Amino acid sequence: MKLFEYQGKEVFARAGIPVPESRLVTCAEREHDRIAAEAAEAAHELGGRERQTVVVKAQLDMGGRGKAGLIRMAADQGEAAAVSREILAKGYRIPALLVERAVNIERELYLSLSVDPQRACFVFLASAEGGVDIESLARERPDAIRRVSIDPFRGLQAFQGRALAYDLGLRDSAIGSFTALVNALYAVFRNSDAELAEINPLFLTADGELIAGDSKLIIDDNSLYRQSGFELTREQFDSDIAYAAALDGIPYVQFDGEISLMCAGAGLATTVFDLVNFGGGSVANYLEFGGPNYHKAQRAMELCLRNRSAVILIVTFGTIARADVMAQGIVDAIAALKPDRPVVTCIRGTNEERAHETLRSAGLEPLLDTEEAVRRAIDLAAQNRGRTS
Amino acid sequence: MSIFANQETRIVVQGMTGKEGGFWTRHMLDMGARVVAGVTPGKEGQTVHDVPIFHSVRRATAAHPADAAVLFVPPRFTRDAVYEALDAGIRKIVTLADGIPLQDQVQIRRTALEMQARVVGGNTSGVISPGKSMLGMFPYWIERVYKPGSIGVMTRSGSLTNEVTSMVVRAGYGVSTLIGVGGDQVPLSRFAEFLPEYQNDPHTEAVLIIGELGGTMEEEVAAAIRDGLFRKPLVAFIGGRTAPAGTRMGHAGAIVTGGTGSVRDKVDALEAAGARVADRPSAVGTLLQRAFQEAETQ
Repeated sequence: MKLFEYQGKEVFARAGIPVPESRLVTCAEREHDRIAAEAAEAAHELGGRERQTVVVKAQLDMGGRGKAGLIRMAADQGEAAAVSREILAKGYRIPALLVERAVNIERELYLSLSVDPQRACFVFLASAEGGVDIESLARERPDAIRRVSIDPFRGLQAFQGRALAYDLGLRDSAIGSFTALVNALYAVFRNSDAELAEINPLFLTADGELIAGDSKLIIDDNSLYRQSGFELTREQFDSDIAYAAALDGIPYVQFDGEISLMCAGAGLATTVFDLVNFGGGSVANYLEFGGPNYHKAQRAMELCLRNRSAVILIVTFGTIARADVMAQGIVDAIAALKPDRPVVTCIRGTNEERAHETLRSAGLEPLLDTEEAVRRAIDLAAQNRGRTS
Repeated sequence: MSIFANQETRIVVQGMTGKEGGFWTRHMLDMGARVVAGVTPGKEGQTVHDVPIFHSVRRATAAHPADAAVLFVPPRFTRDAVYEALDAGIRKIVTLADGIPLQDQVQIRRTALEMQARVVGGNTSGVISPGKSMLGMFPYWIERVYKPGSIGVMTRSGSLTNEVTSMVVRAGYGVSTLIGVGGDQVPLSRFAEFLPEYQNDPHTEAVLIIGELGGTMEEEVAAAIRDGLFRKPLVAFIGGRTAPAGTRMGHAGAIVTGGTGSVRDKVDALEAAGARVADRPSAVGTLLQRAFQEAETQ
C-alpha cells in the first residue's frame, strides 16, 4: 500500500523525523471556493507574524509533481488561494492539498531504505544530490549513490549511520542529527513493515537541521494483517471499479481498450495481456481471479461489465483453481448478469473435462488454445466496435 | 535423474491435516513421492492417507528420517515453520503459501543462505520431478501438460507454467525437474542458484526459464551462462513485455522499479549470453528444437 505524502509524513513525525509544519486541506469536487479559503487560512496560520512563504502540494500518487505544476509556492494568503485554484484546475483527481511552511534550504539530500532480494538484507541508499530522480541518477552516475547493507537480524549499527553521514560530506554539526534520522527511518521501515521508506528531498537547513521534504512510504501488502492504521480508501485508486475490486481482494487494473481480461493466475494474465497487445487488440481491464478468488467468477464478471469493454476474455489454466468450479461460476454469472457483450472462454487445468461439458451445456465454446482465444476476442471486439461506441 | 527431489527423497509434510495439505499429500503419494511423515501441532497419533502425524518436525524426523519438507502452512506462520524444519536438520524446504510478509522473507532467505539450505517459494506450486517426486501442487495427471523428460524448468508462475509446459509436451519433450521459485519480490531461492545442479544432472539436456518483468533473476541467469556455470542450451519465455512501467499488474515481484526489471533488459542480457528468448508460450517448443539442433551441429 502506497501512502500519500501527508500520511507518510505523519508516520515520520511520530517516529521523530522532522517534517515541515503543515495543514491538510481535504478536497472534493466542485468545492474550489471552500478549498481555496481553507488553503488561505492555512497559509495565514503557518506564515505567522513573519508572513513566511508556504508551499501548496497536491496529494496524489504521481512522480514529477513539481514539473506538472502541482507543487507551488505562495508568499501570502491571497497567493495560497490562487495557486490552490490553479492546482485544482489542472483536472487531476486530488484527494487533498498539503500546505507547508517553506523551509530555508541549504542542500537537498536523498535517503531511502528498501530490501535487497538477492543478498537478503535491507539496504540504505543515500546521495548528496537529493531532489532529483534517483533512478536516472543511478543510471547516469552510480558513484553519486552510497549504499549500506543492513543485516536483517543484527539490524542497523551506529557506525553504519556515521559512515553515510561522513560519505555525504555533512559538516560536524549535522552528523548527530543525520544519524538520529537514519535510526528513525530504520525504525519506521521495520515497525511498519515497509517495502520502501524514502525521503527525497531531505532538506539540510543553514542551521544544520534536517527536515523531510517529501515522503514515499510503501507498506508491504502481505504484512497489513499485523499492521494497524493503514486502511484502503477510495483515494488510493484510479477508478471506482478498481477500489471495489480491491475491497474484494481481486487484483484489477483499469485500461481504456476494448477487451476485458478475466484470467486466473498472475503470470498467465500478464501473458494474455501481452498477447492481446501483440495481436493488435486493446485491453479494457486487467483482472485476475485465481488463487483464493477462483470461486468469485460472478463478482469478477460484474466488475468487467462495469467497463465499456466490447468483449470479455476468460483464460485460466489452474491447479488448485479448479477448472470445473470456475466454469460453473462463469455459467452462473452469465445466467445472473446476462452480459451485453460476448464472452470467450479458454478454461483448462484440474477437472477440465467437466468444465468443458458445463460450458458446452450453457452454449459456450470451450477453447483449449490461449492464442486462439485471444484472436477470437480481438475479432469479436472489432465486430462489436460499432455497437458500443 | 533429476535435481532437488527424486524417488529416494524422504518428505515431511508440514500442515498435512489441513484441507490442501491432505488433498495434495494424496496426489504426492499417488505420483510415487516418498512422504514419510506429517506435522501438525496437537495432532500426533493421527494418520492422513496412512502417513503418521507428529507434533513437531523433530519428533517426526526422529521416527522417520527425512531429507525434505513441504509446507502447507499459512503465510503468517511460514517463517516459524521454515525455522522449525531447519532446526530439525532438513536442508531442502518448499514453502507454497502466497502472502508471506516481505521482511519475513528477507530473514528466511538470509538464514537459508547462512545455513546453506535450499528454501524454495513462496507463492509457488512447488517442485516436481514428474514420475519421481513432487513437493507441492501440480496437475501431473493431465498428460498434455506434464510428462517426464529432459528439460529442466524454472518458473516464477503457476497457471502460466501449466500453459508453457503444455507447449513443451506438444513439441515432444518432457520435464526432468521443475522448480517454482515463486512470484514474490523476495524468492527464497533464485533461478541462477539451481543452474549448477542442472548442469551436473546427466538427464537434464536443456533448461527452460519462465520469467517475467521485475527483479533481476533473469539477468543473473545470463551472468551464470557468461561465467560458464551453465553450458547446456537455455530457452526463456518472459512475460510482461507490454506491461506499463511502475504498475504492479500481477505477482508482487512483477514490477519495474528503480530502473531495473524491464523485459527489454532481460531479453538483451539473455540473448547476449547465448540463450534463446520466446515472446509467447507457443514459441517455446520451436526454440527448444532449434537449440538442440544447434547443439548437435557444434
